[in-house]
Amino acid sequence: MASNPMQQFTVFRIGPEIKIAGVDLSFTNASLFMVISASIILFFLFFGSKEKKIIPDKIQLMAEMFYSFVAKMISDTAGTKAKPFFPFIFSLFMFVLFCNMVGMLPYSFTVTSHIIVTLIMALFIFVAVTIIGFVKHGFKYLSIFVPSGVPAVLLPLITIIEIISYLSRPVSLSVRLFANMMAGHTMLKVFGSFVVSLGILGGWLPLSFSVALTGLEILVAFLQAYVFAILTCIYLNDALNLHH
Amino acid sequence: MTIPEDFKTRLKIAKSKIKKKLDNDEGKKGSFMGNAFKLGTELVAAVVVGTIIGFILDSWFDTKPWLIIIFFFLGAAAGMLNVIRAANRMQKED
Repeated sequence: MASNPMQQFTVFRIGPEIKIAGVDLSFTNASLFMVISASIILFFLFFGSKEKKIIPDKIQLMAEMFYSFVAKMISDTAGTKAKPFFPFIFSLFMFVLFCNMVGMLPYSFTVTSHIIVTLIMALFIFVAVTIIGFVKHGFKYLSIFVPSGVPAVLLPLITIIEIISYLSRPVSLSVRLFANMMAGHTMLKVFGSFVVSLGILGGWLPLSFSVALTGLEILVAFLQAYVFAILTCIYLNDALNLHH
Repeated sequence: MTIPEDFKTRLKIAKSKIKKKLDNDEGKKGSFMGNAFKLGTELVAAVVVGTIIGFILDSWFDTKPWLIIIFFFLGAAAGMLNVIRAANRMQKED
């Protein structure tokens, strides 16, 4: 058994090495678990929406609950203007949620516990929101850096602070998801190794902690997917409706 | 067959009750731990971004170490601004 709590985060290659123009594009365990999560979502939604019964069965009910949950989240935070972005936010939420949940299974790999994955998603959102803002409002979009009602002396300082605050969005978005997932999984492993090292006499206390932490981790997995999606909605709202 | 007026009003009342209940549940959902994590990363991220900007500008203009110091504090200010905004949003949600 792996005694190092960080060993669960190692990325290794599966199958042959693929190198295109000096870039390593090999299929790794991280890619494998992304494919697994994506296919679970596809199958789940396919079977959930195959038979459109008036009285839904369990799987259809779950699929509809996810749908209405995300739809309500978008209309609450970003208004009706954000309706065209529903497919994007829905896929984002489902992908993050299922990556987190698949990571909760024993012997699996948590894709979202790697900062490169979360940072790429956050940067994509950041760039997309900025482009949407400029497309919708033109150069007037730059006025989000200039809050109204500030004395002229302070304006340059406030503008710099606003720009830093805007640039920190992808960092906080990605670090939050990554840190939560990594800290939780490391903690689970550490408590698991306590069980082994304390043996049958003292191992019961860390074992009960482990069980409680697993429940907490499932909550965190859902909550972080929710927070990731809702912050995307909030950023989208800032871009769509100027002067909030 | 027409739906009696009485049933319609009853349906309306029931629907509004459900909606109210759902809205109440929604407000409680953002658990306190999630909020705490949110505020912490919000503060740290802005400081990190500010410091990185200062570092890059320093190596561009050869003014070590002044800009990194200035931008560290600007980043801290931006972080506090972020935290205040996030906290305001949380209060609005409740």
